[in-house]
Amino acid sequence: MSHPSDPTSDTTPTLDDALVGEAVLGVYRQMFAALARDGGAVVDDPELVDVAETLLAAFADAGEEGLSREQMRYVCRRYPTEVFENRLRVLRGLGAVREVFPKPNQLRYRASFTSVVGLMFVRRMMLDGGQSEMHRLLALEQLNVADPRMTPAQARDGAAGLARAFRLWSVELLTLTNGTIEELREQAPKLWGTEEILQRAERLHGAILRRWPQLDRACTDLRTAIYAYGDASRRAAARLSDSAGTTRNLTLLPPETWRTFARTASRDDLAAVLEGFVFDAPAPWHEPSAVVQAVEDGPRATPPRPAPPRPSVPDPGLSDDTGGDATATERLRAVAEQALRGRDRIAVEDLLTQDWPTARRVLADLSSAHLHPELPYRLTWSDGLAVRPDGSPTWLSPGTFERTDVKHVAAPRKAGADE
Amino acid sequence: MSKASAESKADVDPGVLARARARVLGGASQAVTEPTPPGVVAASDGERVWLLSAWPDGATPALLEEYDTAPMPLDRSGQARRVLAAALRCCWTRLDDAPWPGEAAPVQAVLEVYGGMSRGDAELARRWATGELRRLSDTGWLLLDEAAGVVRPGPRVALWPDDSLGPLRDLLRRLPEPPQGVIAGE
Repeated sequence: MSHPSDPTSDTTPTLDDALVGEAVLGVYRQMFAALARDGGAVVDDPELVDVAETLLAAFADAGEEGLSREQMRYVCRRYPTEVFENRLRVLRGLGAVREVFPKPNQLRYRASFTSVVGLMFVRRMMLDGGQSEMHRLLALEQLNVADPRMTPAQARDGAAGLARAFRLWSVELLTLTNGTIEELREQAPKLWGTEEILQRAERLHGAILRRWPQLDRACTDLRTAIYAYGDASRRAAARLSDSAGTTRNLTLLPPETWRTFARTASRDDLAAVLEGFVFDAPAPWHEPSAVVQAVEDGPRATPPRPAPPRPSVPDPGLSDDTGGDATATERLRAVAEQALRGRDRIAVEDLLTQDWPTARRVLADLSSAHLHPELPYRLTWSDGLAVRPDGSPTWLSPGTFERTDVKHVAAPRKAGADE
Repeated sequence: MSKASAESKADVDPGVLARARARVLGGASQAVTEPTPPGVVAASDGERVWLLSAWPDGATPALLEEYDTAPMPLDRSGQARRVLAAALRCCWTRLDDAPWPGEAAPVQAVLEVYGGMSRGDAELARRWATGELRRLSDTGWLLLDEAAGVVRPGPRVALWPDDSLGPLRDLLRRLPEPPQGVIAGE
């Protein structure tokens, strides 16, 4: 039992809380509608019932002395004063709480036993609805029918009452069946386990008819009511499962129902879910190249081949011949000597008399000779810039290419001796 | 997965129906005397004919790889293909011919060849290979007759284009021979 709005907590109530409270109130109103004097007489807040329950529990603990007004207020200290006063006035007015002795200025109170039982009934109705109460009533009637002191009039009354209850129940179910599917889904727990109730009711009906055959008229009423209820519940269940089946919305039925279905359904029923679908047969494709790849990647029966053996002769290490550099130096020296032609220095512009591709190559070789650290040549440039519109290089800085070891007369020959 | 029109079978084109059956059943066989509907590849061994779904332009599902599309998932594809290679080593004896229809070979020979290709517990390898033989038989790559203990190439090897078979022929020439004792013992 949960009461939706705890007055001590300061959380703001949500819409869900309001809905739960409204549902609880609905049960209260339905149960006491027969007794209420007017529509406003039933509590309009579930909390008020909690006040009454707290009070009655405190009275049960207090024993025969009862409770004083201050003690009652202390027990209900969780609730606001005006709520408490209001409830106490109503409970006293209806006789649920009474003075210990009917005298003026009585300070001690006691609670009525009937109210507690009534409240227990209310709570039970809220917990599992009218269906389990119907089970209890049927069981009680069964006992009564077996009782030798039972009179035919009492049996007729009992049968008529049950017939009425079943009729009203089936009417409610029919209304649900014709309503929205969401509402039906919410109220669906009222439908479960109806088979047992039907069997119980039919057993009771049979027992009454066997003992008092003269009650066949009342029993016919009861029988039609039972069958009407059975039809209505089957139709509601069919509508529910139909909509669940067509929408494939699995939440329309509770998970327990699906589980039961999966366990108990035949193979054809289960297969009907995917009726109308065709599945391709499993057809993995093995390309010949994939087969080759798989065999080559697979584990080998024989270990992989060992590395080829090392030669037995000792390793001579790296070769001294670095190659290339000496020939490049010789080529640069030859180019430089050909440019100088025995002289010690020569102007660069005299060397660039041919077309530009050739001149460019000569210039590159002379620059390389100048930059080479082992070759005795130098390329020097002066600051001037000669513009020659009709020359082959159209602009030119005057520069000289010279040998740096002019003192050694036989420099070319010395270079040749170095070889 | 395709929606089937189960109703009004009379209206359905028999060729369409045959293609749907070939897809659902994964290569059903019928007697050679039955008419072959258009649009399927018929692989015949002289007595029966297997109807296989054909792809346009001679393509094979290997084309999926070029389009970066995942093929049908296959557990332990390497093992299945090695077993297929071992079976082909025994059944495809004339390598210059097409692999289909091939010849029947004892299952024991295939298991021996596979055992020679793999490493580790030989008994375990034989059990793995037996399972793979059954799976390959279910998918139409081999025709396994467990009662007689023989296996032969399945109709789906007939779908291999001839110009893609070169590397496979080279591989099968390199694979160890099936032991003659097993074949003689059968």
